[in-house]
Amino acid sequence: MANKKIRQKTNWKKELALAPGYLIVGIWVVFTFVLIGWIVLASFSTTREIFDGNLFKFATGLHPENYVKAWKTHKVSSYFMNSLVYTLISCTVVIIVAAPAAYVLSRFKFRGNGFLQNLFATALGIPAIMIIMPLFALFSQMHVTQSRGLLIFLYIAINVPFTVFFLNTFFHNLSVTFEEAAAIDGCSPMKTFWMIMLPLAQPGIITVTIFNFITIWNEYFISLIFANTAKTRPVAVGLYSMIQSMRYTGDWGGMFAAVVIVFLPTFILYIFLSEKIIASVTGGAIKG
Amino acid sequence: MKTKNKSMIVIFLAPAIFLYTVVFLYPTIRTVIMSFFKVEGVTDAVSGWKFNGMGNFRTLFHTPLFMSAMQNISLIWLVGGVGVMLVSLLFGVILTSGVHGKSFFRSVIYLPNVISAVAMGTMWINYVYNPNFGLLSSILKTLGFSEAAATQWTGPEMVFWSMLVAYCFGMVGYHMLIWMSGIERIPVDFYEAATIEGANVFQRFSKITLPLLKGVCRTNIVLWTVSTMAFFVWSQLFSPVNLSASTVTPMSYMYELVFGASNSAITVRDSGAGAAIGVILTIVVVIVFLFTQLIVRHDDVEL
Repeated sequence: MANKKIRQKTNWKKELALAPGYLIVGIWVVFTFVLIGWIVLASFSTTREIFDGNLFKFATGLHPENYVKAWKTHKVSSYFMNSLVYTLISCTVVIIVAAPAAYVLSRFKFRGNGFLQNLFATALGIPAIMIIMPLFALFSQMHVTQSRGLLIFLYIAINVPFTVFFLNTFFHNLSVTFEEAAAIDGCSPMKTFWMIMLPLAQPGIITVTIFNFITIWNEYFISLIFANTAKTRPVAVGLYSMIQSMRYTGDWGGMFAAVVIVFLPTFILYIFLSEKIIASVTGGAIKG
Repeated sequence: MKTKNKSMIVIFLAPAIFLYTVVFLYPTIRTVIMSFFKVEGVTDAVSGWKFNGMGNFRTLFHTPLFMSAMQNISLIWLVGGVGVMLVSLLFGVILTSGVHGKSFFRSVIYLPNVISAVAMGTMWINYVYNPNFGLLSSILKTLGFSEAAATQWTGPEMVFWSMLVAYCFGMVGYHMLIWMSGIERIPVDFYEAATIEGANVFQRFSKITLPLLKGVCRTNIVLWTVSTMAFFVWSQLFSPVNLSASTVTPMSYMYELVFGASNSAITVRDSGAGAAIGVILTIVVVIVFLFTQLIVRHDDVEL
C-alpha cells in the first residue's frame, strides 16, 4: 500500500508488454459493467420489453413506476428501513464495545492478554452453523426471536471480534507519547482513552465501520433464522422472499428495481470510499 | 496507578468478553456436545437429549443427500478454489505490474463483494443465465453456436457449474486484494536487481514473487476455506424451492434438517445431525488451517 509509485511518463514499449494484461482485466471489467448496467436498464423497462430484448430502445419510455411499485407494493420500503436501523445501531454499538477492548489489548501487559487476542481471532474462523442452533434455543426460551432487538444484539456480538482484531492493530501503531503526555498532565488512563486515543483512532474506526456497514447490510443467514417476518426482515432476506413471489407474478421490471434499491446504498458508499474499504479488507486479512 | 489500570482493563474488556461468551463460546461448546446426542427439535430441553455416540455422524454419512452435499462442497472448494486462486493471482500480478488505472480496475473487480449476494445472484440467474434474453445465450448466438446457446444454464445438468461460476466471479476480487497486498510489500529493489541481471517477467514472477507470497498464499487458502464452508445463499438462490442433489451444501442441508422451512418430505427434523454437520465443517477448517501451517512454514521473509 505504501509504495505508491511516482507517475512516470508513458513508456509505449512497456505499455505494449502490458497489453495482454489490459485485455484480460478489461474484459472482466466490461462484463461487470454490462451485468450491473443491464439490471439498471431493465429496472426502468417493462416485463415485455425485457423478454423481447428491446431494452435499449425504451419504446414506451422510462418506467420509474417500477420503483414506486417495488418500494410501496412489494414493501421494499419496510425492508430498507429495517436494514437502515439494524445497520446504524449495530455499527455504532460495535465500536463502543470493541474500541475499548482493542485499546486495552494493544496497550496493557497483563496475564491472559495473548490468550484473549487469540480467542477473538478464533471467532473469525467459527462457521455460523456452529453457533446458530444454541442461540436459537436460548432466545426461543426467552421468547425474543423474530424481534428487531435480538437481531441488532446478534449483529453487534458477531461483529465485535473482527472489529477488536482490526482496531488492535490500529492502536498498536499509534505512538505512546500521547498517553505519556496525558499522564504527566494528570489525565487518568480511562479519560485519556475517551478524550485522546479514541479521536486519534478515528481513521481506523471509520474504515472498520464502513466494512461492518457493508457486512451487516448484506447479512443473510442470521436474519433468515432470527428475523424472517414481513415486519422485521432486512433487505437481503426481504429481496429473496420478494423474488420468490415475483417470479410467479411475473413482474420483472419491479423485481430488478428492487435489486437496484437493495444494492444502491452499499454501491454508493463504495463509489466514494472504495480506497478505505479496500484498505479494511487487506488490513483485516493480513494477520488472519 | 496499578489498581486503576486493573479496573480499567476489566471495565474495558468486560462487554466484549461477555458478548463473545454468549454468542461464540457457549454456542460452540453446546453444538459440539449436541452433535453426540439424539435431539429432534432445536429448542428441546437438554433433559430430552439422548446420548447417541457417533450415531449422528454415522446417519449423516449414510444419507445420500448429505453425501451429495459433501461432494458439492468438495468440488466447490477444490475446483472453485483453484480457479479463484489462479485468476485472482493473475489479476493481482497484472494490477501491480504498473498498469494505468490500477485503482479503478481494482475497485471494479472487488465491486461484487460489496453488493448483497441475493442481488448478485438475481442478476446472474435472471440475466446472464436466462435462456430467452440472457447475456450468455446472446453471446453464443452472435458467435454462431446456436446449439450451445440453447443450453438451460440453470437446468438440472448445468446448475451446479453455473452456480459455481457465479459464486467464484465475486470471490476473485476479494482474494485479488489479498494477493496484491502481499505483492506490494515485496521490496521494489528485488525486481530492479533481477531486471538488471536480465531476468524476464516470468523469471521474476517465479523466482521472486511466488516464493515471497507463501504467507499470503496460506492466508488466501484459509480464508477461502472459511467462506466456502459457509456456502449457503447461492445454494438457496439456485434451488429456491426444495433441496436438490446438484446444489445442496452442508449448510443448506443443515438448515433443512433443523429449521425445515420448505415442505419437502426428503428430510426429517434432526437437530443432533445438524450439530454434527457444524462439527464436521469446523473440523475441515481446522485441518486446512493446520495443514497450511505445516506446508508453508514461517521460514520466508516476514512480509
